Amino acid sequence: MDPPTQISHLALDIGGTLVKLVYFSSNGSEEESRNGCSVVKGKLCFAKFETRKIDDCLDFIRFNILHHSGVQHQNGAVHDYLSVKATGGGAFKFADLFKEKLGILFDKEDEMHSLVGGVNFLLKTVPREAFTYLDGQKDFVNIDHNDLYPYLLVNIGSGVSMIKVDGDGKYERISGTSLGGGTFLGLGKLLTKCKSFDELLELSHHGNNRVIDMLVGDIYGGTDYSKIGLSSTAIASSFGKPISDGKELEDYQPEDVARSLLRMISNNIGQIAYLNALRFGLKRIFFGGFFIRGLEYTMDTISVAVHFWSRGEAKAMFLRHEGFLGALGAFTSYKTHSTNDSKPHHHTVQRAILNCSGDSFRHIPVTSNLNDSETIECSINLV
Amino acid sequence: MSVWILFIPSSFIAEILILGVPGPCLWGLVLSRRMYNLQVTGGGAYKFADLFKERLGVSIEKEDEMHCLVSGANFLLKAIRHEAFTHMEGEKEFVQIDPNDLYPYLLVNVGSGVSIIKVDGEGKFERVSGTNVGGGTYWGLGRLLTKCKSFDELLELSQKGDNSAIDMLVGDIYGGMDYSKIGLSASTIASSFGKAISENKELDDYRPEDISLSLLRMISYNIGQISYLNALRFGLKRIFFGGFFIRGHAYTMDTISFAVHFWSKGEMQAMFLRHEGFLGALGAFMSYEKHGLDDLMSHQLVERFPMGAPYTGGNIHGPPLGDLNEKISWMEKFVRRGTEITAPVPMTPSKTTGLGGFEVPSSRGSALRSDASALNVGVLHLVPTLEVFPLLADPKTYEPNTIDLSDQGEREYWLKVLSEHLPDLVDTAVASEGGTEDAKRRGDAFARAFSAHLARLMEEPAAYGKLGLANLLELREECLREFQFVDAYRSIKQRENEASLAVLPDLLEELDSMSEEARLLTLIEGVLAANIFDWGSRACVDLYHKGTIIEIYRMSRNKMQRPWRIDDFDAFKERMLGSGGKQPHRHKRALLFVDNSGADVILGMLPLAREFIRRGTEVVLVANSLPALNDVTAMELPDIVAGAAKHCDILRRAAEMGGLLVDAMVNPGDGSKKDLTSAPLMVVENGCGSPCIDLRQVSSELAAAAKDADLVVLEGMGRALHTNFNAQFKCEALKLAMVKNQRLAEKLIKGNIYDCVCRYEPPSL
Repeated sequence: MDPPTQISHLALDIGGTLVKLVYFSSNGSEEESRNGCSVVKGKLCFAKFETRKIDDCLDFIRFNILHHSGVQHQNGAVHDYLSVKATGGGAFKFADLFKEKLGILFDKEDEMHSLVGGVNFLLKTVPREAFTYLDGQKDFVNIDHNDLYPYLLVNIGSGVSMIKVDGDGKYERISGTSLGGGTFLGLGKLLTKCKSFDELLELSHHGNNRVIDMLVGDIYGGTDYSKIGLSSTAIASSFGKPISDGKELEDYQPEDVARSLLRMISNNIGQIAYLNALRFGLKRIFFGGFFIRGLEYTMDTISVAVHFWSRGEAKAMFLRHEGFLGALGAFTSYKTHSTNDSKPHHHTVQRAILNCSGDSFRHIPVTSNLNDSETIECSINLV
Repeated sequence: MSVWILFIPSSFIAEILILGVPGPCLWGLVLSRRMYNLQVTGGGAYKFADLFKERLGVSIEKEDEMHCLVSGANFLLKAIRHEAFTHMEGEKEFVQIDPNDLYPYLLVNVGSGVSIIKVDGEGKFERVSGTNVGGGTYWGLGRLLTKCKSFDELLELSQKGDNSAIDMLVGDIYGGMDYSKIGLSASTIASSFGKAISENKELDDYRPEDISLSLLRMISYNIGQISYLNALRFGLKRIFFGGFFIRGHAYTMDTISFAVHFWSKGEMQAMFLRHEGFLGALGAFMSYEKHGLDDLMSHQLVERFPMGAPYTGGNIHGPPLGDLNEKISWMEKFVRRGTEITAPVPMTPSKTTGLGGFEVPSSRGSALRSDASALNVGVLHLVPTLEVFPLLADPKTYEPNTIDLSDQGEREYWLKVLSEHLPDLVDTAVASEGGTEDAKRRGDAFARAFSAHLARLMEEPAAYGKLGLANLLELREECLREFQFVDAYRSIKQRENEASLAVLPDLLEELDSMSEEARLLTLIEGVLAANIFDWGSRACVDLYHKGTIIEIYRMSRNKMQRPWRIDDFDAFKERMLGSGGKQPHRHKRALLFVDNSGADVILGMLPLAREFIRRGTEVVLVANSLPALNDVTAMELPDIVAGAAKHCDILRRAAEMGGLLVDAMVNPGDGSKKDLTSAPLMVVENGCGSPCIDLRQVSSELAAAAKDADLVVLEGMGRALHTNFNAQFKCEALKLAMVKNQRLAEKLIKGNIYDCVCRYEPPSL
């Protein structure tokens, strides 16, 4: 067992499907440092719950975070509500529940602001955070912290938001598309009777899109239309074959349908993202959101699309802690808001600067699966 | 002889282009297109090609598809006026593109997939992008999801759909609120088909209509967005969309336009091409270098809409019928067949042989034509001798039509006027050929065909391109010619010419007795008064029954009381006669655009021409090449001048000088040499057969005659009011007309019927 830890921070991102938690767990040693700041060493921990099982989340917070942090409403100090950063649609929906059950008040953060904050934090402070994924090969990319901005952040949720990030808190949603994860799952459900995203994705892995997509070769009689740089296996028209084949939905394997759908949507997102990066002269494109979630299938198709449209000049990049961007952003937003609490609790930090030095970063093997509970070792400066 | 060009693109459309050579200088492009399902034809395009070879002995040359598309688009955009249009919220607006400022542009061809082509010039293009989410995706996915059997069926479903049943909207996520911080309204689609996730519904629980619309919007928006991003990337100002996915479908055009507008924040507009369906075939045709069509100019092409146009919509062209009898029976057959399906029923029974009211060839939303906005395609006639009138101050900004028929009120009024005038016209036309059974049958067919045109234009004003009154009036004349009514007013014109010539000597004598100043005023009054003789005007036709020509003329002239509604006479008089004893320089050459036969030209314009000749000004009478109503034609004028010259030496000498009269044969006894010093009187044809004139397309003869002219006189409603009222010229211009329509009088000059316009304008700089 680890030695008892003290909880200093908690932030939540409550989405429609999942609740994401980020919290800081100190290892108990508080060091006085220069400038009158005390530095707490510890680690950032991550946890995830299904939104429909919100009670599990409440229990987890009660026993693992609040309990350990010693925050109890002993002495009936009811007014001592704890203010916690929260983002996502659920921050509104579940506010009353958290207040009632845990005495937690949500300090709501804008979703997109949190998202960008989370990415900026990861890219600046966590080494080996970004990676490319091509042909099953994962390569970590070292990004110079001083040469991070501007970049394009593509968040693929139900829909897709494309955000140009110019600095801390400096960002703009420049584009988006309605063909996103929701389209994949929505159309997929209608076409294959799959019940879940993961099921559909798994199905797509075993499919062959050529059965249902019209390829360049189908049009030009198996020969490349090389004059314009299209190979015969390039998709000319997604779902174009049912027309000429005269077949019905039942005539197709769900696997093939799922595969075709996945490629259609990934291709499209990759293309629009690339065109937007080009438009603003952005060198890097990072993809995140529940459609990605470190899933090899989607990362692969997105990468292929970006590679195709940019003729190999641009690469899609992904983030290891991709699932917790919003929660991390909410977490880091503590530092930008000084609380006006006149009666600071002993664990309430007015100003915190998160540091993740390479020294204190726990080595993670490249081959390891990206794990939700993977932690980031860091230290917090207490002002 | 005719040449067929068949073009079979990779997807689902075959286009047929026929080149006919009916005359030495005129030829036409007949365009035809049929949609066919590859499944039906079995072996696809290749079998189709074999069929052509087998049946017709025509072999098909394979041309590069993209090359054809680009050549076709270049040709259309450069050679056809108002070829491009925008389409926002159901409203079409034609756009004139300067052929010299066309490149570079983006051409987006939405077939099964989408090709995005950057065009930099003739034969200079590059496929810069594309997307695999195209028409094939719409149809393919739509077929799997809705069981629709055809593209059109699927498209029609979408028109009754509500995509919010299946798309996740921004409002669905933000509890009905806009996410205004990032500029998204509650009704913006956040995730296409996103609602299908959260609900435990099966495919069968969704309406096929909603699915189709959701698909259509998803794909259209996506195409619009990707196209916009590519235009931006290459700094292109214009995006033209084409391909079978779009092909005249109003909603598709709207969604694509919306997407381009949305993403560009209103800075870019999606444009479409009227002849878009023939891009490939036109391009294939253009690739025959021997045609030498590369430098075709828009003023050399005239598009005409044959009688089948309103029935066939934009989809299938009628058979290329050459024989008149075929035409009539095709029309009769179509009407019969049409009555069984969706009726083109005349609203009012025919009075004599003519039909009034609007027939509806096939009603909106009927199975025959799923989308009323599908535009019609006419026959392109190449007339290499047509030129832009060289005296136009600015041909680029010149707009012939005065009244904007895109205004619904105006359009309905004028369509109604033409419709009401139709029975009289048919009677006259039939009577002009002796009222034979054959003439009656042709008259009926003409009435049907023309009311079908009118009905089509009521339904879709943009069906034949940018609509102006000049086009409408020309359409009517073309339609008459199509049924071989060569000159419906022939006998009326003859009668009136004879009557007018008979009284001309008295008039000239009267004029010659006047002072110079009084004479000039009387001459202008005479032109305006004589302009009352107009068979195109309902009010005037009624007048004819009340008196003889000379009575009406004198009555009309006596009523001329200055000031006229627009009265620049004093300025014109000063220019002609000078002021303060200063002698003005005389005009070198005057172009007189004449209007009607009979009194109008003989008692009005000829005396004016004579006055110019007396002052040493060369006079060119400009008249129609082909008959239109009772307008005098260039063919008829020499006879009229000869008739007038019998009684007038001034006219005779001038006509001899101008080559209208051969030698001194008319009056052999009086051939003294000094007579030959007269300024000449000449006649040229204007190159058109309409009561109006579009000065962007005139005969080369007129263009040549205009080179030395320093005065243009436009006479009559058609040429001076309906068209060219606002036209600016490099030389002086005099516009003379009597307004014989109450509404036009109110609109144009805030006056009343029979008010007069005498507008004198110095050269425009």
